[in-house]
Amino acid sequence: MLKMVVGIKWVPNTTSVNIDPKTGTLIREGIPSVVNPHDLEAVEMALRLKDEYGGKVTVITMSPPSAIAGLEHVLGMGADKAILVSDRAFAGADTLATSYVLAKVIDRLDYDLIIFGQETIDSSTAHVGAQVASWLDLPYVYYVTHAELRGGKLVVRRSLENAHETYELDLPALISVAMHSLNPRRVKVSNKLRVKLENPVKTWSNKLLGLDPECIGLRGSPTALSKIEMVPKVPRKNEIFRGDAREAAKWLLEKLRGEGLLELG
Amino acid sequence: MMRKPMRVDDILNNDVWDVDYEPHIRVDATKCRECDEKPCLLLCPAQCYTLVGNEVLFSYEGCLECGTCRLICPHDAVHWDYPVSGRGIHFRFS
Amino acid sequence: MKEVGYKFDVIVVGAGPAGSAAAYTLAKKGFKVLLVERGRMPGTKNVFGGRVYADPLRDVFDGFDDSAPIHRWVTKERISMVSGEAMTSFEFHTRKKTSFTTYLTELSCWMAKRVEEAGGTVLTEITVDELVVENGRVTGIRVGDEKVSSEVVIDAEGINRLLLERAGLVPKLELRHAGLGVKEVIKLSKKEIEDLFGLEEGEGLAWLMMGEVTGGLPGGAFLYTNRDSVSLGLVVMLGEAVKGVREHISRYVEALRLHPLLERYFRNGRIMEYSAHLVPEYTWPSLPHRLYADGLLVAGDAAGLLLNLGYNFRGVDYAAYSGYLAAKAVEKAHEMGGMTSENLSVYERLLEESFIMKQLRKFRNASKMRENGRLYSTYPEVLNSVMDQLFHSPYEVPKIMEAFKRARKGRIGWLDLIRDLLGMVRSI
Repeated sequence: MLKMVVGIKWVPNTTSVNIDPKTGTLIREGIPSVVNPHDLEAVEMALRLKDEYGGKVTVITMSPPSAIAGLEHVLGMGADKAILVSDRAFAGADTLATSYVLAKVIDRLDYDLIIFGQETIDSSTAHVGAQVASWLDLPYVYYVTHAELRGGKLVVRRSLENAHETYELDLPALISVAMHSLNPRRVKVSNKLRVKLENPVKTWSNKLLGLDPECIGLRGSPTALSKIEMVPKVPRKNEIFRGDAREAAKWLLEKLRGEGLLELG
Repeated sequence: MMRKPMRVDDILNNDVWDVDYEPHIRVDATKCRECDEKPCLLLCPAQCYTLVGNEVLFSYEGCLECGTCRLICPHDAVHWDYPVSGRGIHFRFS
Repeated sequence: MKEVGYKFDVIVVGAGPAGSAAAYTLAKKGFKVLLVERGRMPGTKNVFGGRVYADPLRDVFDGFDDSAPIHRWVTKERISMVSGEAMTSFEFHTRKKTSFTTYLTELSCWMAKRVEEAGGTVLTEITVDELVVENGRVTGIRVGDEKVSSEVVIDAEGINRLLLERAGLVPKLELRHAGLGVKEVIKLSKKEIEDLFGLEEGEGLAWLMMGEVTGGLPGGAFLYTNRDSVSLGLVVMLGEAVKGVREHISRYVEALRLHPLLERYFRNGRIMEYSAHLVPEYTWPSLPHRLYADGLLVAGDAAGLLLNLGYNFRGVDYAAYSGYLAAKAVEKAHEMGGMTSENLSVYERLLEESFIMKQLRKFRNASKMRENGRLYSTYPEVLNSVMDQLFHSPYEVPKIMEAFKRARKGRIGWLDLIRDLLGMVRSI
């Protein structure tokens, strides 16, 4: 029986963010938010462990209340409980202030394993998991593609570019799931019904947590963002070669060489 | 605003999807090879069907879920389903 | 298939206008209602032209005027016949508030909220795989490997009606019974819209165009002014489009946006969204299929209930009202003792007695008229040629009849003209 906590982030669906041709800035109007796709993989890993060994999965997020829709999605997938950590006092947090609050939340929960996604699609820092582990003084492993229990320890496989590493972790511990390693399961109608009829989402504010205002929100955030520059969009050349494969390969080689993209010895 | 026709890819850039990792539409390519008309190439509003060489290449990612391809396919090659789990196109202003 | 632990009186499939209207009406009456929607939010899969008639929605939803997301009341109607670089328009301006523009996405969300307020359960992100049929009776829905049971299912899944097809209740929709609508929503400021189209705050324009705006494909083009955007698009008859389409359909919409007489309106805009949807185009009075069965009712686009007059579309209000009538039918069947086919057949009677079937019957020949190719080329050309002669003859202006004769020559014979005119008078 594993007690697991999964941290997720409610992010703008940045795969779809478009640039205003006049101002060159991001168009944010009407961009719906989604659960960070890599966090869905973290939820999936937790649910697989639950399927295998039994247990409870609690999902937490620090966000404005609109994230309830995201929590309902992961509850629909099969998570047992969800906590929305929400307070105006938390607004403007960088990764440090965020991880501090999440660590304080997790500290109040009974847990064996904490799971995060590798990174978010809206900022890609990959900080929060590691920081939470540090606040809680837990062992942690990133880029995990597989996890299982063996003799009371968690054995995880971590994939690097040219190697697979296997670690044995004492619990409690924290892992982050390598992105694109798991397909998150679909929501189930029974789970969704339970969400609507039993309302398993709880909201925790700073009234409950009572955290020092100096350590949370904007004031607890030392990160300063100086500038964002857009990468200019390179128009696609859209060249099509018609012919047999051998000629096509030659043609492609020449093209790549011509663009300076390929150096051959 | 562009004063010349925009490519459908650029127009579609304004839309929002939560793309599923499995396609909700499957196309029987063997039937496409036999097909002379190929009305999907021009009538799929999202241009999910394109011709590469003589093959009809299908990609589901930009699908607007209108169902046109299923109706117009002369050889019943399109197996069309609704996406699941809230995935697919997410209209906001339509 | 596992039965879930909750049971409902009514399951409604699809939180569009039809489904939400049905669910709301029944929830208000105390039925235990489940409304399931495959989109992430209600409305995210819905597309319409741009205009809704308010009164049928007022009949269905309490407090409609207090909170419905109305962008602009359509006080200005414009109908244009376009050929080459000319158009002749007919305009009607009033201050009456009968129909309004909005985003259907927003309106559907608003309706589904009313369902929840009325005590119904709304589930999003749920795609129904199948209607569960047991001993010839629909007993619920299957989602993945789970079943949810109910006394009756109201199918408002939309025009593609896969569930009805899978249950063997209807054949695949025929090409000639469908239109394809494609539209761009173009962002403009409120002020730009009011200046460009001569509107005051809260006033809107509905503009239907015929002729060289659909690239020769039978159909029409439309423009609706929203709060701070316009919806620009076209609907082509799919059966004809399959034969006549010459370039990618998005090019037809782009050609419309860039038409020399229209481009000026969108010059300062940017495309916010591109969408497409099928439109029912039935030739009435024959119902496309039976709209009731043991444990089942069908409403909205899935039932093919949309009126297309060529100069006006009535879809959303027809859908919502049919959902409302389906709910009434469930109430009546409940009083009569159960959701049998016999008891639910009252739905067809309710539809027959309502404006929906009366109107669809009255205009049953409208779609036939719209198949007439002359409507899209010859008549706009003749009309614009007459206007051109009347206003662009620098010295000698012809008499109207003279101009008409000249315009007609080589384009259309008297016999066809009279036949078309009579046809038009009879059908619309």
